[in-house]
Amino acid sequence: MIKRKPPVPISGVVYGEIIYWCTCLSALLVVGGTITSFLETESMMPAGYLINTVFEGQSVEEIWAASALKRPPDALTYLALLGHGEALTVAGIAFGVLSVAPAVFFSAAYLWRSKNEFLAVTAMISGAFAIITPFTYFLFR
Amino acid sequence: MHLLKRMPELQILLVCTIGCYLFLETFVVSNPLDSLFGLTGVDLIFISFFLSFVVAVISVIAGVGGGVIFTPIMLAFTSVDTLIIRSTGLVVAMFSGLVASGPFMRKGLADIKLVFLGALPILLGGFLGSVAAITLFDYFGATGDALVRLALGFILGLIALTFIVSGASTEYPEHSEKSRLATRLKLRHMYWEDTLKKPVRYDVHNVKTAVFLLLCVGFTGGFFGLGGGWAVVPVLNLVMSVPLKVSAATSGVLLAMGNSAAIWPYINAGALIGVVAAPWMLGQIIGGIVGAHALAGIKAAFVRKVLIVMLFLTSLKLCSRGIEGIFNFNIPIL
Repeated sequence: MIKRKPPVPISGVVYGEIIYWCTCLSALLVVGGTITSFLETESMMPAGYLINTVFEGQSVEEIWAASALKRPPDALTYLALLGHGEALTVAGIAFGVLSVAPAVFFSAAYLWRSKNEFLAVTAMISGAFAIITPFTYFLFR
Repeated sequence: MHLLKRMPELQILLVCTIGCYLFLETFVVSNPLDSLFGLTGVDLIFISFFLSFVVAVISVIAGVGGGVIFTPIMLAFTSVDTLIIRSTGLVVAMFSGLVASGPFMRKGLADIKLVFLGALPILLGGFLGSVAAITLFDYFGATGDALVRLALGFILGLIALTFIVSGASTEYPEHSEKSRLATRLKLRHMYWEDTLKKPVRYDVHNVKTAVFLLLCVGFTGGFFGLGGGWAVVPVLNLVMSVPLKVSAATSGVLLAMGNSAAIWPYINAGALIGVVAAPWMLGQIIGGIVGAHALAGIKAAFVRKVLIVMLFLTSLKLCSRGIEGIFNFNIPIL
């Protein structure tokens, strides 16, 4: 009986490593964003106000309507306010989510090289889906 | 401690996160909230982080998204807006799976071919489900929604019972004949089973049925906002005959990928409140790394028990929401 550890597929390792390290990096961005949001004295999105209103049970519209922004922010608003803690925190989360796309494409390339063309193509379509979804909102706005 | 020594990135993340929250507790003046026993906003962040860590360890071991635990707790014990709970729930469901992808793939516990085979039906089903939900909402009505939730709850209870009745045979399923489609797609794999100290080989079966079921899982997830964590492990293990530990690991990776598209509408609607979601995300990442390493060393029988408990809890939640919807009353805690 074989007692040696079997080899691990390289396509899987590539997928896992890209996502793992991007997620760790996004966690550090989120920590930085959290500290900044509590320390900044003048903010469009003050952390104390957001926590209070969220746990008071206010709706998303009510929370943002009473803030300095006056309306719910979208991805472009967060990008424009990237110096603020709240925007940096959301950007950190978004960075972690987006790490799926490059991981899928690189992994698909290795699957293709190992003669798994069908799964490589399904992976590419899934990766394209992950990349397109952030932009669909702006296309149909 | 052994894990901390081996993984400097885990040390850095723990020191940064706990250091950040201790700093906030010590130096930031935060007013007590009226509705929450005099706790301050910073206290809530600290508590959320520890709860999220525990949720992540359990959900990674069971292969279900953390949303299965998070959403009922938040709905039962807080008055937070459901849109904010759903967006934070997605973060909870996703990040433990994302970060666990690394350790799972390194150890060969998650099967990348099954991930890519299942990703497209789940993504496509989820998309079709959300489109159908928007289109059919007026015709379907709240009672129809409640009836389907109740039916799903019963199905989930039955799946949990199947895991109990089948016993240990679900841990390393065996099949005599080989699937031709699975062979053509090269869906066979071998992984090192730490608890047995030997490699375990498996062949995948019923590929077409499983792809159809994953499409249905994606559809119901998108239609009812349930997520797919409740059904991916049973499909992989009971239908495709994939060993239980590989099913749990693959399900976690698959769910993280499937949910990654769903977060964007919430971000663009301002429903993802960063300062509230942050501690849950950080807890999921640190707990996800710990859970992924724990799964490799845990016996498959234990994974099965955790999964059965999770399935029964989700079944209970679905049934209670179904009954609430049909008879129009609230069941406390559930």
